Amino acid sequence: MDPNQKRLSRRGALRAAGCGLGTLGLAQLLQASENPLAPKASHYAARAKRVIFLFMHGGPSSIDTFDPKERLIRDHGKPLPIKRPLAFADEAPGPLMKSPWAFKNGGQSGIPVSDLFPYTREMVDELCVIRSLVGEGVDHGAALLQTFTGSSTFVRPSIGAWTVYGLGTENQNLPGYITIKPTLSHGGAKNFGSAFLPGAFQGTPIGHSGMKVDEIKAEPIQYLVNKGLTAEQQRFELDMIQNINRKHQEVRAVDSNLEARIQAFELAFRMQTQAPEIFAVDKESDATKKMYGLDDPKTADFGWQCLLARRLCEKGVRFVQCTHSYKWDQHGDLFAKHTENAREVDKPIAGLLKDLKARGLLKDTLVVWAGEFGRTPISQGGNGRDHNPYGYTVWMAGGGVKPGFIYGATDDIGYHATEDRMHIHDWHATILHLMGMQHDKLTYKYSGRDFRLTDVAGVIHKKILV
Amino acid sequence: MSKQVLILLFVLGSMAASGQTAEQAEFFEKNVRPVLAEKCQMCHNAKAKTSGLDMSTGAAFFAGGASGSLINVETPEQSLLLMALSYEGTLKMPPMGKLKDDEIARIREWVKMGAPWPGVDRKAGAAAVSDSGTRKHGSAFSGEEWNFWAFQPVKKTAVPAVKNADWVRSPVDAFILQKLEEKGLRPAAKADKHVLLRRVTYDLHGLPPTEREISDFVADPSPDAFRKVVDRLLASPRYGEKWGRHWLDVARFADSTGNDEDHRYPYAFKYRDYVVDAFNSDLPYNQFVKEQIAGDLLPPEKGEGINRRGVIATGFLALGAKAIAQQDKQKMLYDVWDEQVDVTSKAFLGVTLACARCHDHKFDPLTQKDYYGMIGMFASTKSFKDSETHVSKLLFTPLVSKAEYEVHEKALALVANKGVDIDIVVDREKNLAQAKMIELLPAYMMAARKKLETAEGLDPLIIKRWIQHFNESEVPRAWLDDFHKADDAGALAVAAKFQESSRANLAEWSKKTARYRVVARKQIDEKNMLVEEPKHINEKDGFFRDVFSDSGPFGVKQRMIETAELKALRAEQKTLKDAVPPEPEMACAVTDDKPVVQKVLVRGDYTSLGEEAPKTFPLVIAGKDRLVVREGGGRRELAEWLASGSNPLTPRVMVNRIWLGHFGEGIVRTPDNFGRMGERPTHPELLDYLAAEFVEKGWSVKEVHRTLINSSTYQMASAPGPEHVKLDGENKLFSRFPRRRLLVEEMRDGMLAISGKLDLKMGGSLQSGFGTDGENSNDRLSISPEEQVRRTVYMPLRRANLPALFNLFDFGDATTPNGKRIVTNVAPQALFLMNSKFVSDQADVIAKSVLAEENQKVERLYLRVLNRAATAAEVDSALSYAASFRQRFPKMQEAEAWQSMTRILLASNEFIYVD
Repeated sequence: MDPNQKRLSRRGALRAAGCGLGTLGLAQLLQASENPLAPKASHYAARAKRVIFLFMHGGPSSIDTFDPKERLIRDHGKPLPIKRPLAFADEAPGPLMKSPWAFKNGGQSGIPVSDLFPYTREMVDELCVIRSLVGEGVDHGAALLQTFTGSSTFVRPSIGAWTVYGLGTENQNLPGYITIKPTLSHGGAKNFGSAFLPGAFQGTPIGHSGMKVDEIKAEPIQYLVNKGLTAEQQRFELDMIQNINRKHQEVRAVDSNLEARIQAFELAFRMQTQAPEIFAVDKESDATKKMYGLDDPKTADFGWQCLLARRLCEKGVRFVQCTHSYKWDQHGDLFAKHTENAREVDKPIAGLLKDLKARGLLKDTLVVWAGEFGRTPISQGGNGRDHNPYGYTVWMAGGGVKPGFIYGATDDIGYHATEDRMHIHDWHATILHLMGMQHDKLTYKYSGRDFRLTDVAGVIHKKILV
Repeated sequence: MSKQVLILLFVLGSMAASGQTAEQAEFFEKNVRPVLAEKCQMCHNAKAKTSGLDMSTGAAFFAGGASGSLINVETPEQSLLLMALSYEGTLKMPPMGKLKDDEIARIREWVKMGAPWPGVDRKAGAAAVSDSGTRKHGSAFSGEEWNFWAFQPVKKTAVPAVKNADWVRSPVDAFILQKLEEKGLRPAAKADKHVLLRRVTYDLHGLPPTEREISDFVADPSPDAFRKVVDRLLASPRYGEKWGRHWLDVARFADSTGNDEDHRYPYAFKYRDYVVDAFNSDLPYNQFVKEQIAGDLLPPEKGEGINRRGVIATGFLALGAKAIAQQDKQKMLYDVWDEQVDVTSKAFLGVTLACARCHDHKFDPLTQKDYYGMIGMFASTKSFKDSETHVSKLLFTPLVSKAEYEVHEKALALVANKGVDIDIVVDREKNLAQAKMIELLPAYMMAARKKLETAEGLDPLIIKRWIQHFNESEVPRAWLDDFHKADDAGALAVAAKFQESSRANLAEWSKKTARYRVVARKQIDEKNMLVEEPKHINEKDGFFRDVFSDSGPFGVKQRMIETAELKALRAEQKTLKDAVPPEPEMACAVTDDKPVVQKVLVRGDYTSLGEEAPKTFPLVIAGKDRLVVREGGGRRELAEWLASGSNPLTPRVMVNRIWLGHFGEGIVRTPDNFGRMGERPTHPELLDYLAAEFVEKGWSVKEVHRTLINSSTYQMASAPGPEHVKLDGENKLFSRFPRRRLLVEEMRDGMLAISGKLDLKMGGSLQSGFGTDGENSNDRLSISPEEQVRRTVYMPLRRANLPALFNLFDFGDATTPNGKRIVTNVAPQALFLMNSKFVSDQADVIAKSVLAEENQKVERLYLRVLNRAATAAEVDSALSYAASFRQRFPKMQEAEAWQSMTRILLASNEFIYVD
């Protein structure tokens, strides 16, 4: 059993031990033990204190973005030279298809990035481009679940839930794990859920992918806004609740649950007072807003997500996710749609990296960019690409990963990872490592065994660490 | 733990190979060690330990890695090492290329010798060797494992004698008191009448008592007043709605598939209603068990024909989470069967049999063969209409006779067949149109090459589409290179060739579609199912594919064709459609499929078949003379065995669940796991006493409730004294009643009940439609229970997006069996109570009705919300709150002040907790 889990079940023992303490001291003691989100020590020193996960739902094509393939230019139109692995498309394989985009080397590192991402290319010296990620799901549902929970088959706690379970969070006035505009499909909330971990560790959604930013702004977190009372009136009301709760508690012997709930109301009140300020993205300077593309309707949505992510991170939220959903699934019309998608996210992402760097946050914030898989080097239906989990590119930046670095490789057509293959379990193990957690020690006992994010696998890829 | 390891070592050690000969050592040094050194140890060494495996020393080699042991002593052919080297399964080693055949052959020979490694005492490594190998049943289990408490027959001991005999009102009390007296503890005092009524009403109904119920009970001085309340509560249909929900947690119930596409289970609600009804009618639990596993195979209670209730009951198996878009369909099926084993073994037996999918159970004496023995039963059961389609099709089962269902099916088939008639005409018309265009193909290509807008005898629109076709630079069309590169004369020649090949291709295509129409008819007549149409994208000739498909320059879309013949056919189809009788009643259920011969999957990999696993029940529970099913699918036999009463776990697990529902914790605190990693019973004799009585009294669940609730144990106060805290901190002795938080259902239903808004209509579905919705559509969300007034148990659950309120208040994930919900106290829950429209609305209605009272406003409020009389101080305090609220905030009306006061009580600890 993980020490964190022990802490959760220590309530009974504390109740027994706490009899002789004065009420105040006891209350504090109980609060510390009851609040599952209180900050906790990591297993060892962390390189990243927080994570911003930029999720490109649908599966951006690696060979059209960060993993150029000469051979596809040469053999454009020729049949696939290898046996096609399990595919999602149920039609015959098309021929090899070169990337319609040109690649240019960016920055000092000279890492090639296609013309889909000109702004990100300018920041490429910050990126650690991993070209050898390997997953197991050829359909979106399995691939999303594995990306976020490690398992492509079963519903398990999400990586954000594991993170706050392991580390707690620094700002008790905000949720520790926030997911902005999460997708409703392909597993939906299971992708940020806590599964068998206590519900306190699940991600708190800010709207969902079907909503417009303006609809979300009014009440970013559900139940955050009281529509009938002023803050003063509400404080008045809350004082009465607490007054009644205290009296209720007085005649009952020590019960940490009662105390925890009293504290939860205070926390909720602080959250509702302080959160609107944090969500007030509009108060940023024009220059900042421009940097994130808020001035352009095409980039405003993802720009808002990225800028909000930065604000949340600044305030000590442990794990923030932004989702561009559900756009990148180009079984057809690759050229037009990938162009449009990249246009929507490129500037905001570059803006986020620039801003984090300028504020000194990048060094201990891990930024992750990923889809649920890449896309095939062969065409589908003439002008699209099918799913490819067998070797695809994700990148990470900041938080202890090597900047301006290319890691791993796929074969010469970009179908399978061949060098430094990084399974999703390995990727998760490495991310947890950067957060100061040893993946095989971050466990939770459920149904008679110790579960972990990385199941029974996971190798930390040390070559990408600073 | 260490003791158990020792026993394991001993057992396995005794099976290990005997001493090694010099020849064997030489064989190893010559044929095996060099290969390991050269091909394996660069990754699998002490430092790199890739996949947790070190092959550099004998001891490490035999210890195995993350995938288990390399050597299977008993069936050497199934050794992981040989599987990996032979490239037969998914694990292929070494990754850079298969070893030479003769190298593999020698290693195989060495493994068959018993893998002698010079200088290594195999006894030391043996534990690891068979830890994940196939543990041979029976003989390999240690005495300790055979004797593990959970697998022993239920033993009914005499009710123990206690000192304080007056306290004993039910046999339960004697068992509880005995342990308390051993510790020198006295049970907590009896709870006050208000507390008791509130407790038992929430416990049995999930609702608060009404003012009338409170006054009746308080006014009833008779000694059996409480007993009468219990009888009243158990007789009400509200009981089944509360306790059915407990079972639905165990059955991981939801109304959609979850995982990927989240398709609706349109008839899932019938299973839910069945469960509610089963509790209300006190359906004997053994019957309840049997029906959920094999109700479709049991005769109906009355008359002949379909066992309607039984079919619906198998929703238990049918309604799990499914990844229906998984493309590895074989894996998907094994995942579904695995999920069925998981829910069956946890719900009824309290064992985690699904842990034995890839290897023998690590902690319990459950073998892989046991696991596949049950998998075989579910593999012989149909859970899909068609699992092979791109997105697998769910199975819906008619609840009417075959004959009746066929009338409906045939009517649908007529409509579909008329559709084929239409398709055939469309095919013909398309073909004619395209054949005409082919005659002009070179002319079109040349016109487009010259970027002409019009040309003699050509359709300008089609020229435009050809120009566009040539311009699609991102599409690889290597076959057009010659055309573009050549001069005009050369290009014309190329075009002529395309013309020729297109004629042939079109003729071929026409044959293909005709063949398909025949197949389609056959599918309709035999399976009542449409099959995928042939698509141009499957055509090998890229030119033909791109040019003649719907989006190509010569594409002809169906809607562009309109003839009198088609019009007439469509009208006929509409008439047929209108004549289709309404869909007969259906259920989401399972049915028997062809019985399979199931094999053990080595490491859970379906490409690595091991020995046959006959359909049977776990050996350690069912015993050595367990039934092996030789004919049929075995599901009915499984049902009979689970419900037989000779199986000790079924009654134990259920009485423990009922206990947990009343006392917050079970006698076994891990209700879904009675195995070694679960908790031991705090009161084993009591557990067995209850289990035995349960079976003796005809498996009546309501009788168990009566035994538990009419005890002194249940009627204790929840406030512990200092000695209770000291000696029974975790309440493992049940020295007091455990205070508990309301479940999300109780909180919501309770508020609606108090406001009078609760709609007590039972059953049916609030969800309509089939399949799923757009990826980012709001329809993917579960209906918000905050906008409904039916009881919470009737809220439909989209598994992938459960209601936010449920996520907030620890409902669980409705995906795995959950016999005990976790309780967390976090700030967002407080936000719901402080700010939600739902709570405000209920507070508003309650406040207004209280205001309408002439006097005793506060008293009424307390009685309705907290189910007790307010003290004088509380009355004063509430009145002065309302007054000062208005004084301080002059714009607020009296109703608003009282709404605030009501919300305060609804948000208070006293409301949310049951003493």
